[in-house]
Amino acid sequence: MLDIRVENLRKQFGSVVAVDDLTLTFPAGTTTCLLGPSGCGKTTLMRMIAGLELPTQGEIFFGTQRVTHLSTYARKIGMVFQYPVVYRGSNVRANIELPLRAEKLSPAERTRRTEEVLDLLEMRHAADADIEDLDNGTRQKVAVARAVARQPQIILFDEPITNVDISAKLQLKRALKELVTRLNQTILYVTHDQTEAMTLADQIALMKEGRIVQYAAPRELYDRPNDVFGGWFLGNPGMNFIEGFAQANLTEIIRSPLFAQPVCLSTPSSSPLTLGIRPEHVRIFPTAQPDTVPARIASRAIVVGGQYLVTLRVGPFSLKAKVAPEIGHTLAEEVWAQLPLDRITLFGTDGHKPNIALQTTC
Amino acid sequence: MRSVHPAQPSADPMLLARRSPLRTFEESRFFSLTLLLPILIFFVALNVIPTLWMIGMSFYNYSLMSAAPPTFLGADNFVKIYNDSDLWSAFGRTFVFVVLAVGLETTLGVLLGFLFWGSSNMPGRRLALTLLFVPMVVTPVASGLFWRLIYEPTFGVANYLLQQISGQKIDFLTNIDWAFGAVLFVDIWMWTPFMILMTLAALGSVPKAELEAAEVDRLTAWQRLWHVIWPHGKFILMLGILLRTIDAYKTTDLVFLMTNGGPGNITELIALKLYRYAFASLNIGFSSALAVILLLIAIAFTSIYLWVLHLRRYREGV
Repeated sequence: MLDIRVENLRKQFGSVVAVDDLTLTFPAGTTTCLLGPSGCGKTTLMRMIAGLELPTQGEIFFGTQRVTHLSTYARKIGMVFQYPVVYRGSNVRANIELPLRAEKLSPAERTRRTEEVLDLLEMRHAADADIEDLDNGTRQKVAVARAVARQPQIILFDEPITNVDISAKLQLKRALKELVTRLNQTILYVTHDQTEAMTLADQIALMKEGRIVQYAAPRELYDRPNDVFGGWFLGNPGMNFIEGFAQANLTEIIRSPLFAQPVCLSTPSSSPLTLGIRPEHVRIFPTAQPDTVPARIASRAIVVGGQYLVTLRVGPFSLKAKVAPEIGHTLAEEVWAQLPLDRITLFGTDGHKPNIALQTTC
Repeated sequence: MRSVHPAQPSADPMLLARRSPLRTFEESRFFSLTLLLPILIFFVALNVIPTLWMIGMSFYNYSLMSAAPPTFLGADNFVKIYNDSDLWSAFGRTFVFVVLAVGLETTLGVLLGFLFWGSSNMPGRRLALTLLFVPMVVTPVASGLFWRLIYEPTFGVANYLLQQISGQKIDFLTNIDWAFGAVLFVDIWMWTPFMILMTLAALGSVPKAELEAAEVDRLTAWQRLWHVIWPHGKFILMLGILLRTIDAYKTTDLVFLMTNGGPGNITELIALKLYRYAFASLNIGFSSALAVILLLIAIAFTSIYLWVLHLRRYREGV
């Protein structure tokens, strides 16, 4: 197994910096998702690792081997592209075998590997189908099977689900999940879809404007974003933010309509602080409970996943909150809300999370 | 703070119901016909009517040499063509010319096309491409005259070089063994750039992701050619071959200027023959019949191409 290491990697297209001075290791035998909005440089980073794009500066290593200037051919990787690539004029089996023929494997070994991936991806029924007759989803599965059958040490996936019809998306996603848990290769997976990243990844590298914002396990990234961007980008919808919640160098207690009791900062901050809390962590009660504050429901909408999304007015603030539909239906306009302190993240004006917490014991 | 906004209805249905008369006209089929009209007039006046007139004339005896009105002959002109061994040999020569010219132009064009395609980072590539396309841009009349001067036995460059090397001269355009090859060479010189262009266009039609996937999958050169490049590039390349075939089969100006069909009738291609019947002998009826046959052969070439293309399109579900 090989890890992938990039050092001070940079890619510039004219005056546009696509990837900005990245240093990072993708551990061997794990699945890492490069997650970020369009144009954040995730595909460029992957293409540099594949050798399809030359870095402006920096180095790439596979294990101990420096591959920065090796051709794609010499890097011996597997890659699945966004556009489902199949080789024309043949059936599924022949497609999977084509690279194996190029490697001059024995016919017995070729058959063995082909049958193995056909089983792994549950494609045996389509093995003899003409490539031209397949839909995009199945074609993409063929592309995946072809990459896996070659048994490269590193496999790259560049948004493999994006160009697949909705109906086939779920099926392909499930097949990929099954696949990445069973493979021992080092897998790098580019996506802009957070649920895809959350499901597949051992760790996620969240990217923004050519830089890695946070590199952590999915749960960690979701629960403890270390940057405003992570809080905003992840979740559906993203975090609630209340800017200027605490002023700079504040040492006194804070009396806020958001909290039933006065709160204070564990240590004073040199810059004003923004309060962040995820909609599902805002708790709503029909009647007054200990540590709740009065709130009013401004609007309700159903979100996917069966949860009710409501907009709350708490004092001068507006907050999104997610509640179970049975509660969402029955709630009157006047409700009681609670923002648990352990679910709150504070961010500085630079967007980063300082090591400061909110507490009630002042 | 971001908040959720409910979607606003985007347009008033009453507004959609009130349509301007201009809009209704734009949507009618008369609008598209009106736009097509100018080109339709040209097409009918310059293509359809002359073609129909030619087909009609092919059944008549009509010579501009005599004052006699055209007389109806039925299929006599076609029978005469069928029995004319001279015409048959002209057809044979043309066939050889087309096969050799198109075959060599395609081979050279494809090879050079691949060379240019693979050298996208080579310095001076643009200049080389521009220079290569010069023969294609020059009119055949100019090319013919230009090459006649090169082949010229007393002061031509070709013979000067030949004499330096071998000590003798060859009058390429009047020598029975060399004339056909000399004309063929000029045709190849003129039209190979076109096949390079078509090859580059064909290669450009291959999706980049497929080429990259082939590189990642470490396919052999042959596998890439057969499974990646050919399935996409074949349409444009075959169109190029078709256009060249029809064009080579009509070659008149080049042979007219360089050899005027000689020596003997070594370079007398069928289109030149047609020209002579129509404009030297002024035998309109007979030349029309010959033109009809040439037209049918050209249609046959096109049909074969369209048939192959359609079959493949059908298979690919386009």
